[in-house]
Amino acid sequence: MAVITIDGEKIEVPEGKNVLECALDAGIYIPHLCHHKDLNPLGSCRMCIVQVEGHDQVEPSCMLKAEDGMVIETQNEEIKRLRMLALELLLAGHPEDCSTCPKYGHCELQVLIQYIGPKTGRMKMRSKGFAVNAKNPLLVHDMNRCILCGRCVRACDDLRGVDVLHYQKREDLEVYTGTLKNKLLKDADCRFCQACAEVCPTGTIRDILSTTEKSKEDYVVPCKAGCPAHTNIPEYLRYIKEGDYDAATAVIREKLTMPKTLGYICTHACELECKRRLVNEPMSIRNLKRYATEHDSGKYWRGKGKQLADTGKKVCVVGGGPAGLTAAYYLRKQGHDVTVKEALPTAGGMLSYGIPSYRLPREMVQEEIQVFTDQGVKIETGVRVDQPKELLKEYDAVLMAIGGHNGVRLPMPGKDLPGVLVNIDFLRKASMGQETGMGHKVIVLGGGNVAFDCARTARRLGAEEIHVACLEARDKMTSDDEEIEQAQEEGIFVHPAQTFEAITGEDHVTGVDFMNVESFTFDENRRAIIKKEAGSEHHIDADTVIFATGQRPDITEEAGLTLGRGNSITVTDIVKDKRTSVEGIFAAGDCIYGTKSVVMAIESGREAASQIDRYLGGDGDIEEELAPKQVKDPYIGKITGFAYQKRRQPKIDPAEMRQNNFNLFDHGLCEEDACAEAGRCLQCDLRLQISAPKTWADFAKEAK
Amino acid sequence: MGALANAKQAGREAVLAKVKEAGLWEYGLKKEALFDKFERASEGAAVEAGLNNADTDRVLLALLKNTPEKVLEGIAVAGFLTGTESLSLYLPESESELTESLKEKAESYGIQLFNEIINVRAAGDAVLLHIVTAADLADLMDGCYQKGVYVSVDGAPLEKKAADTGIGELVPLGSAKAVKLGYRYYTPAEAEGLTAADATTGLIHVLTDKDCIVAETRNQMTEYRKASCGKCVFCREGLIQLEYEQKETTQARGKMEFLDLTKEIGDAMKFSCLCSVGQEAAKAALDATEKFAGEYEAHIKKNQCPAGVCTSFVHIYIDPQTCTGCGECLDVCPADCIEGKAKYIHMIDEFDCTKCGKCIEACEEGAVIQTAGKLPKLPNRLTKVGKFRQH
Repeated sequence: MAVITIDGEKIEVPEGKNVLECALDAGIYIPHLCHHKDLNPLGSCRMCIVQVEGHDQVEPSCMLKAEDGMVIETQNEEIKRLRMLALELLLAGHPEDCSTCPKYGHCELQVLIQYIGPKTGRMKMRSKGFAVNAKNPLLVHDMNRCILCGRCVRACDDLRGVDVLHYQKREDLEVYTGTLKNKLLKDADCRFCQACAEVCPTGTIRDILSTTEKSKEDYVVPCKAGCPAHTNIPEYLRYIKEGDYDAATAVIREKLTMPKTLGYICTHACELECKRRLVNEPMSIRNLKRYATEHDSGKYWRGKGKQLADTGKKVCVVGGGPAGLTAAYYLRKQGHDVTVKEALPTAGGMLSYGIPSYRLPREMVQEEIQVFTDQGVKIETGVRVDQPKELLKEYDAVLMAIGGHNGVRLPMPGKDLPGVLVNIDFLRKASMGQETGMGHKVIVLGGGNVAFDCARTARRLGAEEIHVACLEARDKMTSDDEEIEQAQEEGIFVHPAQTFEAITGEDHVTGVDFMNVESFTFDENRRAIIKKEAGSEHHIDADTVIFATGQRPDITEEAGLTLGRGNSITVTDIVKDKRTSVEGIFAAGDCIYGTKSVVMAIESGREAASQIDRYLGGDGDIEEELAPKQVKDPYIGKITGFAYQKRRQPKIDPAEMRQNNFNLFDHGLCEEDACAEAGRCLQCDLRLQISAPKTWADFAKEAK
Repeated sequence: MGALANAKQAGREAVLAKVKEAGLWEYGLKKEALFDKFERASEGAAVEAGLNNADTDRVLLALLKNTPEKVLEGIAVAGFLTGTESLSLYLPESESELTESLKEKAESYGIQLFNEIINVRAAGDAVLLHIVTAADLADLMDGCYQKGVYVSVDGAPLEKKAADTGIGELVPLGSAKAVKLGYRYYTPAEAEGLTAADATTGLIHVLTDKDCIVAETRNQMTEYRKASCGKCVFCREGLIQLEYEQKETTQARGKMEFLDLTKEIGDAMKFSCLCSVGQEAAKAALDATEKFAGEYEAHIKKNQCPAGVCTSFVHIYIDPQTCTGCGECLDVCPADCIEGKAKYIHMIDEFDCTKCGKCIEACEEGAVIQTAGKLPKLPNRLTKVGKFRQH
C-alpha cells in the first residue's frame, strides 16, 4: 500500500494503481474523457492532467502510477488553462449541435464542457464531413461527432479481442476510427457485442435499439426482456456452448417450469426479439433449450432449490394445465399444502389434449408433471369444479386456472350444421383416440397455430383434402411461419385474406362460401374494418368444417365469479393483482387473458403463486438460485465469418414420412449443431458488465 | 562473416564492451550512450527499429535503401544483445515499396516490417533503435565502423562527416536567411555555433531570400499531420490549428492573434504529446514564428511575402493601355480565366487565376503585369482596344 496526497487529502491506495482511479474511488473528481475504467489507459485527451510535487510538468493522472508519498494537485490555474486548451482543440472538430444530437443528456463530452466551462471562439472550427454510416446492423456510426478518445478501439481490441476497429486516416488527413478499408462490420468479422457503442462517450457510435422508453437491460438484452418469464437466455446459451447442459437447464429452471415442453412448443418470443436477427438470422433459442433440457441430469435442481417448511395453509388449484401446475409447484415450495383438481382424465391441460402429440410427445408431458408431484403437489384428475366458492370451506385460497376449453363458433349461416366441428373438441377427441366426426374434405377456419394443429391432425387422421382459410393476410397470420410451411409441405392448402360468408348445405355441410379480402385494418376503436373485393365470391367444397377461431374459458356466471370479455374471469390486474371478485379466489393463465402461449401461462402461474403466498402470509419471494454463478469472459475474440454463420436447422422428417402418423417428426439439433448454434449468440449481456462512466454530475450529486 | 555471426561468436559481454569502447550513441532525438541503453534494457526486451517518428525528411532511409543488410543485421545484433526474437522495423507509411523490397531479407533475420510510426504507448519496455544506430552497430561488428554522422545537404547523397564539423563548413551561411537542421529552424548566426551532429534527421536545408519561412512551415505542418497517428489531442488537433494559421497567413488572411495562438498551442504541445511528432512539430512552428517574426509581420501587416513565394500577395493584370487584343494570353491560360475577343482588351478573372505566370510569358506586348502592390483601374466589361479611359 502507498499513501498519496490528492488536493491535501491523504488516501491509502495500492502501490502502482493509476492515480486517476485512486482519486475517483476516493470521491475526488478529476475530469477525464479518454479514460474508461475497463480499458487500458491511453493518456491522449489531457483532461485528467495533474501536477505532482517535484515533477517538471503536468501529466495525465490516468498514466500516473501511485507511489508512496506522492503529493498531487488536481486544480490550479495552469492545469485549468491547459484543460481548457485541450477542450478547445477537441471541440474545433466537433459539431456544435448538442440539442439535435441523439446522445443529448447522456454525452460525457457535454458534461465535461459543463465542468470546464464555455470555450472561446478563437480556434478554427471545421466540419469533418463524414457521411453517417447506417449500413451496418445494430450500430450507426457518425464520425463527425468522434473526438478520437479511442475507447471503441480499445474496447474492441483489448477488452473483446475482436480487433475490428482501428485508427484510420482519410485522404485529407482527417483521423477517424473504423474498420480497415471501411469494410462493413459483417465483412470485418465484427461480433456485434456493441461494446464500442457502450463505451463511446459521445453520439458517434450508437446502438440503434437504444431507447429511453425501456430500461437499459431490456433494450440491451431484448431476448430476456421478450420472454414472458425473463429467462436468462444469454447465460444458458453460454453454458450450452460450453457443453454444460446441467447448468444451462438450471438457469432455465430458475424462471420456468416444464422446460422440456417449452423446448418443443414454445412460441419463442425471445427469437423474435433476438438482435442476431438484424445481423442475419435469429438464434434458434427454442431448439437450444430443447437440446439442453434433454441432456440434463438434473444435478443442479432435482431435489435442490427452495422448499420452505410447511405452513399449514391449504390451497386448491382448479385446472391442471401449465398455469395451474406451475402455481401449485411454487406454492408447494413456499410450504403450502396444494391440491390440483383437473376435470380431464390426465393433467397437462392443452399440453395433453390440445397440442397434437406429433409436436409434443405425451410421455414427456407426463414426465414433466412428475416433477410437480415429486415436489409434493397433489393432483386429482377427473374432478370438475363448478362451484369454486365451495372450495373455500376446505381451502385457505383457490386458484382458478381453467384455461380456455370451449371452442368458438362464429355467428354465420350454417354454423350448427352436422359436419361442423370445433377446434378444441376435435383435438381432444383426436388426442384421446375417439371418433371425431371428420369426413374426407376438411376446411379449417382460422389462422393461428391451433388452426394448423387441426389441419395437420386431420391430415394424420386420413382426410383427403384440407384447406385452411383465414381473414388475415399471409404476413399477418398469427401462426408460426414454420407451422404454415410444414402444413403446406403436407399438402394442406392455405388461403389467407378470406371472409367466411356462409357454411353451405341443407342437412350436412357441403362447403364454405368465401370472398377475398382487399384490406383488413382496425379503426381507432380497435374495430375491424374489412373491405371485400367485389365479385370475388367463391366456394370450396367440403364435408367437414372446423372452427379454429378462438377458445373461451368453460365457465358460466353460475360459478359465482365476475366474468368479462370473451367469458374470461375478471381479475383486478392481469399481471400485478390476480384476485377475482371473490375474496380468497385468484385466477391465472388463459382464463384471465384469452388464449396466448404456454410460456405466458407458466409466468402467469408463477405470479399467481407469489401473490397467493403473500395472501397467505408469506413473503411472496419465489425466486431461487439453482445454477452455479457464471463467469462471463469478456474476451470473446475474433471469429472469421461470424456474422454469416447460418442458423442451424433441426432434423425434420420429410412430409411423406410424417403426415400419416402422430409420431414426433422434429428431432431437434444434433450435438455439433447445438454447440455451433449457441456459439452464434452475440452475448449482448456482456455489455451490461461494462462499467458506467463517472461524470462530474455523479460527483456533484454526491457532494450535495 | 557477418556482423551477427561475429557478435554471437564474441558473446554478449564482449560485444557490449566493444560498444562501450567505440563510444556508440543512439542516434536521433533520444540521444543516449548505446552501452547504457543496453545495460538498462530488461532481458528479452523487444527491439523496435525505425526513424524517429517525427522524421519527415527521411533522407536517412537512404541507408536502408543502399545497404539494407547492414541495417537489418544491426537490428539482429541488438536483438541478440537483449536476448529477444521479437524484432520489428518501422517504415513510413508512404514507403510500402521499400517494405516490399526488404521483405525477404527481413524475414531471414526474423524481423517484422510495419508501415507506420512506432506506437510509443504500446512499446512498453522495448528497446527503440534508430536505423542509423543499427547500421553503426553492424559496422562495429564488421570491423568497419567509422566515427561520424550522416549528413545530406539539401537532399544530396548522404555523407559521413565528423560530428563536430561546423555547419558553416558544410553550407554557405552568408546568403542564408535560415537553416533547417534536422527538425529545427535556426538563424544563420545560431547556425554558426552548431555542428553536423545537430542535424538530427541528417538533413541540412538552407533557406534563402527566395524561400518563404511561412510557406515552408505550413508545408512542414502538413508533413507532420501525415506522420501523426492521430491519438494525442494536442498532436492531431494542435497540428490542424497550426497548419491553418500558417496557411491563412500565406493566403493573405493572417492575423497577429495567430502568432499568440501558435505560441500557446505550440508551448503546450511540447509536453502534451506522447511522441516526437507533436513535440518536434511544435518546436518548428515556434522557431518559425519567434525567430522569424519579421517575416510573419510582413505577411500580416504589410500584406506582402518578402520571398515572393506566397502568390496570394501577388496580382497579375492586363494593362488596358498596352493590350492589343491578340488572344495569345487567352490561349495559354490553363485555368481558362482570361476573358476577351479579337480587338477587345483582355481581362483576368482573379478568382480563378492560379498565378502561374504563363500569360506573362506569352504576351509579346508586355501587357500582362505582375505586381505586389495595388491594382490600377481596370475595365469591368469587354472594351474595344483604345476605348478604355483610365479616368
